Amino acid sequence: MEILIYGAVTSAIYALLAVGFTLIFGVARILNLAHGSFYALGAYGTYVLTSIAGLPLWSAALIAIAFVALFGVVVEKVLIRPLRHSQLGVLMISLAVALIVEQALFLVFGSEYRNVPSFVDSKINFGGVDVAGQRLLTLAVAAVAIGALYLFIQFTRLGSAILAISQDPEAAKYMGIPSDKIFSVVMAISAALAALAGVMAGPFLSVQPSMHLLPIVKAFAIVVVGGLGSIPGSIAAAFLLGYAETCVAYLISSSWTEIVSVLATLLMLVFRPAGIFGKRAAF
Amino acid sequence: MSYSTNFRSLRRLATASALLGALLGVLASPQALAQSANTKPIRIGVPTSVQLQVGRDTLTAVKMAVDDINKKGGVLGRKFEFVAADETENPETGISAIKKLTADEKVDLLIGGYTSGVTLAQLPHISAAKTIYLGVGAASPSITAKVKQDYDNYKYIFRVGPINAAHQARNLVDYISNFVIGELGYKNIAIVGENAKWVQDLVPVLAKGAKDVGADVKLTELFDTQTSDFSPLLAKVKSSGAQYMIVVLSHASSDVFAKQWHDAQVPVPYGGIDVKSMDGDFYSRIGGKSISEVAANFAVRAPLTKKTVPFFDEFKKNSANSPVYTAFFAYDSVYIYADAVKRAGSFDTDKVIKELEKTKHEGVAGEITFDEMHDVQVGKGKLSLIFAQWQDKGERVVIYPKELRTGNFILPPWMKK
Amino acid sequence: MKAFRGLDNFSVTGGLVALVLLGFLPTLFPGKYLIGVLTVAAIYGIWSVSWDFMSGLTGRENFGHSLFIGVGAYTAGFLNVQFGWGPWWSLPASMVVAAFFGLILGFPTLRLRGPYFALAMLSAAVIMQRLMLIFWEFTGGEEGIQDITPLIKDPLHYYWFVLALLGAITWFLAWMARSRWGLILRAIRGDEATCLAAGLPITTYKIASLIISAAFAGLGGALYAHYQLQVSPQLFAVVTSITIITMVYVGGMGTIFGPVGGALLLTLMTEGLRNFGEWRLMVYSLLLIFILFFLPNGIVAPTWNKIRNLFSQERP
Repeated sequence: MEILIYGAVTSAIYALLAVGFTLIFGVARILNLAHGSFYALGAYGTYVLTSIAGLPLWSAALIAIAFVALFGVVVEKVLIRPLRHSQLGVLMISLAVALIVEQALFLVFGSEYRNVPSFVDSKINFGGVDVAGQRLLTLAVAAVAIGALYLFIQFTRLGSAILAISQDPEAAKYMGIPSDKIFSVVMAISAALAALAGVMAGPFLSVQPSMHLLPIVKAFAIVVVGGLGSIPGSIAAAFLLGYAETCVAYLISSSWTEIVSVLATLLMLVFRPAGIFGKRAAF
Repeated sequence: MSYSTNFRSLRRLATASALLGALLGVLASPQALAQSANTKPIRIGVPTSVQLQVGRDTLTAVKMAVDDINKKGGVLGRKFEFVAADETENPETGISAIKKLTADEKVDLLIGGYTSGVTLAQLPHISAAKTIYLGVGAASPSITAKVKQDYDNYKYIFRVGPINAAHQARNLVDYISNFVIGELGYKNIAIVGENAKWVQDLVPVLAKGAKDVGADVKLTELFDTQTSDFSPLLAKVKSSGAQYMIVVLSHASSDVFAKQWHDAQVPVPYGGIDVKSMDGDFYSRIGGKSISEVAANFAVRAPLTKKTVPFFDEFKKNSANSPVYTAFFAYDSVYIYADAVKRAGSFDTDKVIKELEKTKHEGVAGEITFDEMHDVQVGKGKLSLIFAQWQDKGERVVIYPKELRTGNFILPPWMKK
Repeated sequence: MKAFRGLDNFSVTGGLVALVLLGFLPTLFPGKYLIGVLTVAAIYGIWSVSWDFMSGLTGRENFGHSLFIGVGAYTAGFLNVQFGWGPWWSLPASMVVAAFFGLILGFPTLRLRGPYFALAMLSAAVIMQRLMLIFWEFTGGEEGIQDITPLIKDPLHYYWFVLALLGAITWFLAWMARSRWGLILRAIRGDEATCLAAGLPITTYKIASLIISAAFAGLGGALYAHYQLQVSPQLFAVVTSITIITMVYVGGMGTIFGPVGGALLLTLMTEGLRNFGEWRLMVYSLLLIFILFFLPNGIVAPTWNKIRNLFSQERP
């Protein structure tokens, strides 16, 4: 029973990360290795605003997310767009950004773990299992966020534009859709989702400068397994991997959890690079 | 080739050569001191985890001792100065730190250390540099074992503190036997530790010792130091039927561990060795979630020796927090070295080592003497673990050993009937 | 990648002169610290040149080079400490083991396109790092294996040894790059489909070049292990791979000798900045961005070509 609930929480966080990652790839063909940095900045931003600026938690979180979204847009516009002709170049530069962010956080905050306050401090007994309130809240928030994203893409004009570009960039341009502006919007959404994950998970997971590394490995794993560019694929894969990890952690040992996702990536890339739901192969 | 291309390439060449020249110049910048050998200051190198409380307190303590000795005229006419190097918790960085201190900064003495694995990695390089090393933070017995195995090469290594992992295990066994079983009546225990060298050395001694005193060890688990999600582990502990959880933590995220334990309201109180919990602000920085945790330390502000209380008070003037364990030993190390030099009448490394071996020093936390492996000894009046509990408002109450008790043990809030 | 002239006489002489100068540097500026820095720079040179041979020539950037380095280093550690073999066995053993890993990883991953190959190798390196931690009873976990015996006790002689190896490996790989082998690898970079159509066994060549790249990286790893006298999972870190890639970019991708210059330049530069120790990675990343934008051909190789052109023009 614990596995069911903890697995759901883990999967929810992963889903938030993966959806953002696959969104920017599906639309702009950018493999953004700085995605983990958005996650880290979300958590640190909240920490800074609450502990140093003394703001109440909700506003601190919202401001942090907005700031990270803006940061994502700037990075995309200034650093990534000029190198869009080379996928490898984009990879390198997003990795460089990730390293710079990590170093900056290290220099400013030091390597010690920081403590982000929880939104909800209580313990809830859910089906016989004691779960921290914060974790359940994370689950709820993730569900709402992804649901909202889905509605946005399906039912708004901007959403259709995004879909159009992801399906056929050339045709979309002919139709007069301003792809550059759309890229910025998508980047903002992608970064905001990652930051949201950081804000929600920060209280109960660790907040330290190298926290961006694991999420990016997992996000990449999920997106590869689910199929690059496919949102339903990412969500499905997020749950698949989230539960696989939780099972491994409870039944074998926590040390093996990272291997699950990395192994899954490697195997998927080798045997079915398009992923479960993907249409685009890796070669 | 056109004229402009030639010029451009010449410019590039010039820039490159200038860069190269500047680099060589920076590298070759002389480090020589202008003073004569007699009044040259004694340089102490401090390799430690500068980013962490253990590191900061090491440096503060060294500074306190250095200032004090210098005010009194130094040692044999020479004054102390010190320089730090960050060894983080990583052997690679640790080795670079030692190389920087010995080969680049050319220090006369090393005081520091924290992670046993890092210290072990540094040993061959310290030995090659023939520099005395006074350890203040690493607990693995393997470090001082080398002194016996290869005296000529490793005689430079001393451990002023903490007591090694095996001794710490025995202290924990006493705690379990006299307090956990004796006073609390809990026979079922779980042992949980991070997967670091010193813990790997400690846990077998602890598990066996606990069984010998009548405890029923329901679970022994070492987890990856990087772990950030302890829910599976805590669930395992709960379902194992343990009544008390003994922890052995230093590098792991004690903050997260405490928070998750508290939030999940695990019905098993815990205590043991938790280095991060030694930090004065541990309780407050996690919103009080470490309440009822029992953590070991080597000294509290009580007259363990004549020097304890004055040290704590002096430390308060130099730092906003109360000292963690490395501070006591770093402070003592400087004096121990100074005294050894005075007795030897010279700074010659081999002569000083001979005198260091004869050390009998009244330190901050107890009397310091070394055994044949240059390891600090235990015994009456010497170093031992003191167990204090986090209680309301962040107060730390000593609950064991009984002679030093300042208050009663409390249960976690959700377990109070 | 432009204008790789490899082994013309000018370059070979230049290379020898550089080697000799480097060898003499410690005598000009005496001190153990410099020798240490130069030794590490030379080892990075070996790693960079091995990376360039495969990734620079074929354009398949390998983000997991640290795997081969770590494997070679741990082989040295195991043989020396766990099995008690003499340290000189580490050198061939590390090459064999690393080459083996190159083989088993190359087969499945080399059919993947650029970014996917890069990330697959990255994932592999991360898995290896994790495995080292998981099986801590055998590998020493986070703190690794200590107490490795040095190959040559005297640091200066060891430095010369490493420097000599660097020279030999660079010469060998440059010769390979200039030969038919290198031609085919560069053709693969250009257009794989055409190569296939021409009947070339490109998979064999790709895997073989990865194996060679891996073997030398592993050798460098073993040399490093016998210098640091310890190995730890940090060797597998992404940062190591990125550092090497930066060095290659600075040196000039695909030029073989350029990366050596890049490695030396960057190692010396970071040592020059050593008082700002924590800023090192920051500078590296900023440098990488700078180069990606403004100097995609690097610094060292184009500069060298300009020098060579200057000289060749002065002839009547």
